[in-house]
Amino acid sequence: MKRKDFYLAVQPLIEKLYRFAYTLIPDDLQAEQLVIDGMNAYLLKERKSLLKKEIDLNNKKEVLLFRRLAFKGILRYMCDIGVRRSTQLSEQLKVGRPAEYSAFYSLDPKVRVVFSLRYDSQFTVEEIEEIVNVPRYEVIEKIHNGRFLLMNDLNQGVTL
Amino acid sequence: MIAYEKKITAYLDGSLGAEETSEFEAFVLTHPEFEAKIKSKKDEISLLKNMIPAVSPTEDSLRSMESEIKASVFNLLKEEPKSMFENLRMKWEEWINR
Repeated sequence: MKRKDFYLAVQPLIEKLYRFAYTLIPDDLQAEQLVIDGMNAYLLKERKSLLKKEIDLNNKKEVLLFRRLAFKGILRYMCDIGVRRSTQLSEQLKVGRPAEYSAFYSLDPKVRVVFSLRYDSQFTVEEIEEIVNVPRYEVIEKIHNGRFLLMNDLNQGVTL
Repeated sequence: MIAYEKKITAYLDGSLGAEETSEFEAFVLTHPEFEAKIKSKKDEISLLKNMIPAVSPTEDSLRSMESEIKASVFNLLKEEPKSMFENLRMKWEEWINR
């Protein structure tokens, strides 16, 4: 695959990747950096297979399929780096995080990852299992925990 | 009934298989009271979605990420030249893609 073709295929993903990064690290610059680091890690690890791959940019179906695959691949590295970074920066980020999403940001970073992959990016449980590299029961447990905590927070807000 | 209740979320996000989807729809058609459960699930999902931040990058931020990623792709996804001619071809491509 030519570098130019790869770039053209993944360019539309940048906004989506940023949106995901922001769910992990609520800071513009840090989220931006997470997208770049995730992409670099993906390129370094998948270099050989990407160079071997052929893609016809005129074939929409092929491009969409490749884009989806690349999206999942990049997310895999972003999750790994982002969860660690989010934990390290948690104290510093408490100040700047948006107040309207305080319930979401109070969730554990691993729960946040799984939850936004499920409800924002709309991946299936099987796909999330592949992206975050944890067993299916753990993915389901995290979705369940996140849902329970957020709904609980919402109900508390209603009763107050 | 419980088995179908468990399938509501998968049905709503389209992750249910084709066969299961038609089976699910047939069940809903024969059980109109089930629609209320689907609606309540739909509302719950939409509530949860609204609790997840949906932040878009600013124009500047997007441009900066694009240029960084472009540079990474061009630096990291480099083929190893197998011959002198290939080396020349790659240099030429690099020059025209600048």
